[in-house]
Amino acid sequence: MTEDAGTAATTAEPESQHLGAPLYVAWQITNECNLACMHCIEESGPGKKFKDELTRAEVLAVLEQMMALEIPYLSFSGGEPMVHPDFFEMVGYVCSRGSQLKVETNGHYLTPDNCARLRDLGVKAVQVSLDGATRGTFNRIRVLGEFDRAVEGIRNLHAAGVPIEINFSPTRFNVQEIGAVVDLAHELGAYSFYTGRTMYTGNAVKAWRHLEVPDAQYATFFDTLRAKAVEYRGRMRVYFHEAGLLEELRYRLREPAALFIVLPNGLVKLINALPFVCGDLRRDSVAEVWANFQRAWRDPRVGSFVDELARDPGKTRTLHQWIQL
Amino acid sequence: MRLAKFVKFREEKFGAVLFETRSEKVFTLNPTATAVVREIQAGTPEADIAGRVKAGFEGNGATIEQEVGEFLSELRRKGLVED
Repeated sequence: MTEDAGTAATTAEPESQHLGAPLYVAWQITNECNLACMHCIEESGPGKKFKDELTRAEVLAVLEQMMALEIPYLSFSGGEPMVHPDFFEMVGYVCSRGSQLKVETNGHYLTPDNCARLRDLGVKAVQVSLDGATRGTFNRIRVLGEFDRAVEGIRNLHAAGVPIEINFSPTRFNVQEIGAVVDLAHELGAYSFYTGRTMYTGNAVKAWRHLEVPDAQYATFFDTLRAKAVEYRGRMRVYFHEAGLLEELRYRLREPAALFIVLPNGLVKLINALPFVCGDLRRDSVAEVWANFQRAWRDPRVGSFVDELARDPGKTRTLHQWIQL
Repeated sequence: MRLAKFVKFREEKFGAVLFETRSEKVFTLNPTATAVVREIQAGTPEADIAGRVKAGFEGNGATIEQEVGEFLSELRRKGLVED
């Protein structure tokens, strides 16, 4: 049976409404964390595990649905994902079923053995947060964290041959180190570097007077990143979101990303920077949540919330007061 | 020729998507391009891909052959395939 060839074989980004399933699932597998970072948007920390986090059986059942839908790309974050008791089993499950997986970690559990295990399981990459080029800066923002331990963890990843991404959150006291952090990331063997603007939500609300980056500092920060992107072209990708949150959300209202944000208790958010929940994986199938995701983005409450954000940028402090759509 | 290590392929009603997970870039494929990637996945030699795809579509064979050639070049240029 033949079919019309249609237009030329060209490439362009798809609209999520035409897709049969998400392309990317960002799963916060636990809210527990060994650190209590000043800027943590999830308010994670020691003893902060949700009381109603998905059980091992529930997690595996959801992953099974995701694999059946051929979701090509997942990330596990937290909290600190590596403190989850079933972390390696979950990693192995995803990788063995052919999806690609990124682990987003603070780097404190990246022992040589764990790095070898991640390599053998076949993770696509491990992203480590490195919010400073010096011990003093890093340890200040990453409360209970140790710069040396994170750097050692990254070196262990490199030695094991695991692809490395580095993430950086700017604050008024680390922003001037951006050039040095990019250089350090490259020295440590990263293939990719990510940063953007730190959001006023979660723990950052309480610490904002220590964190808020003045516009002039941001201007210098992004100038440095532009220069670094050129300097490292072909050797390490330096990627940064210069756009503000409002601009990003207005774009997403028109073009929702084919992305699920899964919370540790199975709730699915439309996007991290909005409080809206479009499903509950403890109750709904992945396919049902995907269908509701399309509808939820068109719900007038979503657009109204974004409009209110334009008038009151501080409204991001309410992102953890989830609203079911 | 095969899909690069970090490239995932998923068929959709409109054709398919290719997801390059290192750069996190997504490419939408029309039916012709989808047929090409199917052949790549099946291990069809590069020289035979255009002929096999042409056989599955109505329309101008020369045009389809040209599209397939251009698409294969594009895949190579974007690092989406490897030998």
